[in-house]
Amino acid sequence: MEHDLILPAVLAAMEAAGADASQASLSLSAKTELNIDAGKLSLLRTTESCRLGLTAYVGGRKGSLGLNRLDEASVKAAAGEVVALARLSPPDEANAIAPAAPARFEEYGEATPDLAAMYDRFKEFLDWEGKALPKTRLEQCSLEHLGSRWFFANSNGVDLRDRTALYHFGGMFTTKDGAKSSSFNYSGGAARSLDKPLKDWGSMERLMRQSAEQLSPGTVEGKFTGELLITPDCLEDFIGSLNGQYLGDGCLIKGSSPFKSRLGQVVASPRLTLRSAPRSLAAGRFYTPDGFIAEDCALIEKGVLKQFNLSHYGARKTSLPKSPNMGGLWVVDPGTETFEELLAKVGRGLLLCRFSGGSPSENGDFQGVAKNSYLIEKGRLVGPVNETMVSGNIGSLFRDISGISRERIDFGMAVLPWVLTSGAVISGK
Amino acid sequence: MIYRNIERHASRFKDYTELRIHENRSLGIQILNGDVLSNNRESGAGVSARVYRGGVWGFASAPFLDDAAIGRVIETATQNAQFLSSREKRGMGPLPMAKASAAHDLSSPKPRGNQEKYLGFARALDAYLKEKHPELLSRSIYLGTLEVEKHLLTSEGSVSTLLVPRTVLYLSASREAKNASKDRVEQGHVFGGGGHFEEHFGDPAALFPGIEAVCEDLARKAEGDHAEAGEHEVVLGPDLAGILAHEAIGHTVEADLVLGGSVAGDFLGKPVATELVSITDFAHTALGAPCPQPLWVDDEGTPARDTVLIENGVLKNFMHNKETARHFGHEATGHARAWSFSDEPLIRMRNTAILPGKSRLADMIASIDKGYYLEQPSNGQADSTSEFMFGVTRGREIRGGKLGRALFDATVSGVAFDMLKTVTMVSDDMRWESGGMCGKKQPIPVGMGGPALKCRIRIGGR
Repeated sequence: MEHDLILPAVLAAMEAAGADASQASLSLSAKTELNIDAGKLSLLRTTESCRLGLTAYVGGRKGSLGLNRLDEASVKAAAGEVVALARLSPPDEANAIAPAAPARFEEYGEATPDLAAMYDRFKEFLDWEGKALPKTRLEQCSLEHLGSRWFFANSNGVDLRDRTALYHFGGMFTTKDGAKSSSFNYSGGAARSLDKPLKDWGSMERLMRQSAEQLSPGTVEGKFTGELLITPDCLEDFIGSLNGQYLGDGCLIKGSSPFKSRLGQVVASPRLTLRSAPRSLAAGRFYTPDGFIAEDCALIEKGVLKQFNLSHYGARKTSLPKSPNMGGLWVVDPGTETFEELLAKVGRGLLLCRFSGGSPSENGDFQGVAKNSYLIEKGRLVGPVNETMVSGNIGSLFRDISGISRERIDFGMAVLPWVLTSGAVISGK
Repeated sequence: MIYRNIERHASRFKDYTELRIHENRSLGIQILNGDVLSNNRESGAGVSARVYRGGVWGFASAPFLDDAAIGRVIETATQNAQFLSSREKRGMGPLPMAKASAAHDLSSPKPRGNQEKYLGFARALDAYLKEKHPELLSRSIYLGTLEVEKHLLTSEGSVSTLLVPRTVLYLSASREAKNASKDRVEQGHVFGGGGHFEEHFGDPAALFPGIEAVCEDLARKAEGDHAEAGEHEVVLGPDLAGILAHEAIGHTVEADLVLGGSVAGDFLGKPVATELVSITDFAHTALGAPCPQPLWVDDEGTPARDTVLIENGVLKNFMHNKETARHFGHEATGHARAWSFSDEPLIRMRNTAILPGKSRLADMIASIDKGYYLEQPSNGQADSTSEFMFGVTRGREIRGGKLGRALFDATVSGVAFDMLKTVTMVSDDMRWESGGMCGKKQPIPVGMGGPALKCRIRIGGR
């Protein structure tokens, strides 16, 4: 079927099958990807993908179905099946589709990949790595161009479309010298062009250079309560945990979020402003998956909880305000101090560069291993450490922030600074 | 089966080529506090081709199964290989030859149910929890099924058809804690594994004893406490031993990660554990029984064979695809697997297990004066150095050789090739777990198994 005709046909078929409300989305993508495997350029991969997603509502009951066959017979059959799925579910008053809104089309990016430029950038990166860091090995590394088209429609008349194209680069690396291996680390980012050398994407060069000095890590003696100077690379994980245990649909519907009744109250350090910015980042998105136009918003502003990250369903289920976007694409506002000034403030703690941890408990307690990290004493980096565990609480970690760096890293998917906090239990051998 | 007679496309190949027709079909039902948050079905089918030329690969895929699309995908993959080989000029010779033939459909022979039955089953479990356990603050049930169907043809003449189902039921609940430092605790459990729904479940009442066991664990956890941070003598239950085998050992001996700098690259033929420890990555049958994620021919057309990783404490083998087997001068082991039609095969574990020993679990617990019995993992990660981390969601203190208070969620860590040298007892039984997905560029289902181990390990805590 012609792509423009699929969603109107699907909505009509769901209505004919008995849906009293429905929504559908169609995503089409083409990927061109170069891969490095074990230090060598190994693969050129081109893929075409599509997914048709259908959601039907019958008397407040909901069913959903996804498929990647777009012929008329498959689409018609799917419409009948999804209505049958909806009829099986119990009714839920919170089920609803987005209200009517004007049709909209938005776009960004270079629709066609520049394969020659991709190859040249990759070779340039490999050449740089070989000369600057001869003992560092690229395990897996990829540079891809992803061109996507997205269509969304519902039975209230919502008609949203976009066309986006983005380059993604990511690499994982280890340094090996004789029998010594460093912990692996990784970085990368997203961008709308290949203007910059790949070593300058995200924290790639900084982390690869750190890897080369992490072959002989020391140990932390005993256990102490100390400070954490969290890098931008690592901060994104903690923001993800904050979202999962305090701000998102799951924890608020379940009722386990420690912030569930604290909208408008101080929940974090007044230094912290956390935004979700789908309109401002390279890898931005124009719409939410449930059919709303996405806008930037502050979830926590100067420490005050301004907004949860709730979907249309989550908002109706909890009677809390819906988020203006779908979350993610995090931006933390810069602070007033440099990284060096933050470092100088640390009495004893860690420069936490990567955190390998278990899922936090419902109350935000976390534990894990500090990876690729450094011991700090009296404002100075002592050296890299291994076999060092860190435990704390996600809420306390953001409440106890005592400094945020002026410098930030733009990953294309997030813009994040270094953050200094305290109260973590750090235990070594 | 979505496809037949893949062999007829052999005449389209110009270089070394793998042609794969592949569909993943899944169902997901999510119930939270009685509300059905998701009642979903998904399918994704398509064709891929991978072509090898002069030391590099070209790959292409499309979400169609007609002959024209198949021809176009093979042509594009060939062009991609040409593009890269013309620039890289690596001049490598052919890959190790492999030819195999297999056809396995692991569908249940029992009458198959439909989504109405599965949703009714999940709702019956939720209704039981609600009625019998009003003390619960939250109830969550996720029922997920997955069918992976693959048809493979290689230019060397390998032909394979495989359909592997898996069914996972994840149940979790929370209640108030009685410890001042925590307001609520949560306990979950995974039921099911390899096979269709009907191989694991039928009458919901048959699962009620399992649900009661989860609720008993939760009640014990509500009266529990934090673990004491530091290194301790512990018994790791079979599920933790399984994730240890997979994460901390298995990944370090995947040959692509060895080439990437894994510390295991220097240990081949050397002792890395006590003599009590043996680990094998099984292809399809282990100790006379089917594995949860069986494989007879991998996605490069290589016969899948059992691979002994550690034998009596000595590191014996790496896991290979054709390319790494050639690099190391080893035999290809059949570990190349792809997750979806649009993914290229990577070196992936299949069913990785620590082999049983001769001790009894009760004796192992009784032999510890002060330590912990760690029973259930959540997630796990490991490193090129073999340093690992696992979340532990069910555990007990051991005091004077007896089980004591339950633990709140904890995290354990260590360096695997050091920790395995502290293993002093291995239990005489083992258990498989196959509820999770391994992540390495692509997700993929794996089996992990093991007995209980007595060893020393570090626990995070307060």
